[in-house]
Amino acid sequence: MAFEEQAQAIPFWRNTQVLRWTAQIVSGLAAVGLVTWLAIRMINAIQDRNVPVGFGFLSRSYGGPIGHHFLPYNPSTTAADTADSFLYSLLVAAGNTVVVSVIGVVLATILGTLIGVGRLSGNWLVSKLSLSYVEFFRNVPLLIQLFFWLTVILALPPVRSGIQIGDLFINNAGISFPWPSPTGVAPTVSWLVLAFLSLVAAYFVYRRRSRLEIRTGQPFYPIVSGCIAALILGATAWILVTAITNSVPFDITYPAPEGRFGRISGGATVPAALIVLLIGLVMYTAAFIAEIVRAGIQSVRKGQREAARSLGLNQFRSLRYVVFPQALRVIVPPLISQFLNLTKNSSLAVAIGYSDLLSVAKTMTQIGPALSIFILVMLIYLVISLAYSLIGNLYNRTTAIKGR
Amino acid sequence: MTVSQPNPAAEGALPPPRAERGVIGWLRFNLFKDWRSSLLTVVAAIAVVFALFYGLRWIFVQADWGVVAELGGRIAIGNYNTVDSCASQNCFWRPQAVLIGFVLILGMAWGVAGKGMTRNIAIGAATVISLFAFLPYSWEEMGMDVRLLLAANLPALGVGWLLARYTPLSTYLRISLLAVAWFVVSMVLLRGITGAPGLQPVSVNNWGGFMVNLILAVGGIALSLPIGILLALGRRSRSPVVRLRIPLGNLRKLKLSLPIVKWLCIAFIELFRGVPLLALLFLSQYLLPLALPEGFFLTRIPLLRTAIVITLFSAAYMAENVRGGIQGLHPGQAEAARALGLSGIRTIRLITLPQALRNVIPAIVGQFISLFKDTTLVYIIGVLEVVEIGRSFIQGNIQIWGGADKEYFIFVAAIFWIFTFGMSRISRRVEERLGSDSRARN
Repeated sequence: MAFEEQAQAIPFWRNTQVLRWTAQIVSGLAAVGLVTWLAIRMINAIQDRNVPVGFGFLSRSYGGPIGHHFLPYNPSTTAADTADSFLYSLLVAAGNTVVVSVIGVVLATILGTLIGVGRLSGNWLVSKLSLSYVEFFRNVPLLIQLFFWLTVILALPPVRSGIQIGDLFINNAGISFPWPSPTGVAPTVSWLVLAFLSLVAAYFVYRRRSRLEIRTGQPFYPIVSGCIAALILGATAWILVTAITNSVPFDITYPAPEGRFGRISGGATVPAALIVLLIGLVMYTAAFIAEIVRAGIQSVRKGQREAARSLGLNQFRSLRYVVFPQALRVIVPPLISQFLNLTKNSSLAVAIGYSDLLSVAKTMTQIGPALSIFILVMLIYLVISLAYSLIGNLYNRTTAIKGR
Repeated sequence: MTVSQPNPAAEGALPPPRAERGVIGWLRFNLFKDWRSSLLTVVAAIAVVFALFYGLRWIFVQADWGVVAELGGRIAIGNYNTVDSCASQNCFWRPQAVLIGFVLILGMAWGVAGKGMTRNIAIGAATVISLFAFLPYSWEEMGMDVRLLLAANLPALGVGWLLARYTPLSTYLRISLLAVAWFVVSMVLLRGITGAPGLQPVSVNNWGGFMVNLILAVGGIALSLPIGILLALGRRSRSPVVRLRIPLGNLRKLKLSLPIVKWLCIAFIELFRGVPLLALLFLSQYLLPLALPEGFFLTRIPLLRTAIVITLFSAAYMAENVRGGIQGLHPGQAEAARALGLSGIRTIRLITLPQALRNVIPAIVGQFISLFKDTTLVYIIGVLEVVEIGRSFIQGNIQIWGGADKEYFIFVAAIFWIFTFGMSRISRRVEERLGSDSRARN
């Protein structure tokens, strides 16, 4: 009883329960109040300027320029009514960001892994070169690097007097090279579907053979046989589709100068701004990835590799089956965060004039409601980030140590 | 070379073969171990020789560094001392006074730390700054007063050292407080006071050059760590639980908890981490002013909004680093502290945070470096920071300096590299001293 009385005797301003609840509720109310106040003021200010608020603009046609796009885009300068809508234009811009991000991630991972392994090389020169690469590119702001690469690209000869190596055209507008272009809906789509199925089949061949290899200890060449399976199946599908539809799925087109100004048409052209953006992003991010890969490999104790070698696995297999699976556990989480950084850094395209999500959105705000556009842009970036995190977490779950 | 040392345990044993010791042994072991290594070495060596030849030839022969010389002091302070921003007065002395103050504080830090890294940094920095006084400009371009104030940095360092030695200003805490106070004073000094003689106001919109990068970085670093720690603690906070008894059929117990603080912290962190800094900067530039009252100081000064955005952006990342550190601690640490009778706040302050922060020093310094690099992005809202001041100058004088942007970017890259590389070295040394080096423990 005495204890209870004592407990009741605590004044409410010293009761932790009361204090904590008050803190929670006060902070919640303060945050909600601040955000509401800002939002109401902002919407009022926008309405005072006679700019529409809300998301009704999304279905209207946009018609602004998007310099380079991977998805088909129709700005329709002649009749504004048929131009693509705001929503679709935003998606085209988001598509650019996604493609830049995926290509950048793949290239940066390859380069970063090479440099990270190079830092651990027994060769003194290679190791020191990798170290200098990392220390230089990691420590200089990406913006300066992008501006620098831009000056390098713009120093190339103009389109008229560009460099030509075989079917490769290099000039300050970009790089053009031969590229397969689809010939028609039926052959192209059906072959793409079949090609995808053969890739799936090849993956199963790879998985089965690597399991056999692990179970029996005999060489079954999983990677080689997987590639062969994919090639054979893909080629068979190609022949089949050609025979049935009377047309090859893809035709290779070659770039060639055209017209009075020697504009390159045909093939595929990677615009200069995209090249600069990719070079900058890849070289910058690779420096960070190299450090992650190095730390990951170093986190696997030497004894693991030595044990694998003494069990009779050769150099490659001991790396592939013993060291790498353990290193990946350490590598993957920070690697995913580097992928996210690369994606977010791709917004620096604004500085060098590439039409990524942010720069298109910025142009769009000149004729559309800025608040709504920015909310959408931030949502798209959040979705991309979430997608990467999701893939990373799923992968992490498969590689994490079981039972912890 | 341990290889060439005679082994005392094997008296009379022959020395290793000549090909395995000394320079030859090192070369054989590190560069020409087998044919693969030799091939790599040859290819890499050819690449290095070519890169060095063309690189050095470009730097010393072909490149025209005139643009750097032409910009001169503007690289450091932007258009701060031009007629537009500081009419009828010479304002160059204000940034220089700020610099001298910081060198003085650096000298005090040296006085407290004694020998070692702090001394090397202090002497190195002060010497380099003083040497700028002897730049080969003409007297018209760079007056005696400017040179004297630059050269004064070396004596200032000595004064700082003496102050730390012979006055009560001899603890890290006091020096840190002094540094914070000096930062505030220097903001006032740079901004100026209306009516005060010699302190004519200079609009913040005219601040520029490397000064702006440093101000943003120093302010951001000083504020983003505490904010990040608070966010991390908030994200890990549990909310109080209320147990309700509901008379539904049998008496049911219902646990009710409303972790509002935790949700707010998570929302803040994930929002700022999920969106590019540039998008946030645009937002703060074009939309935030609409929401703020007319004439409010945040509405008038874009640079201040930028500073807040950069700081909060960095704090969100910092929060995740700190959270990683806290989660890496064994829960027994906090439990033991509570069992010893420490209050919740004291447990965090004395037990959890010191260990958690020590374990994530590399990540925290990495975030500082990244914040420093991100300060270049404020050019997007028209601040003439160090990259943009040169870029806009070259664009404006394209007839004269048309192709000189390469040189300027390389020069600025070198400046940034010195600072960021230095920061990562310092972090490495601090880590070694605190014994939290993970590689050393393995």
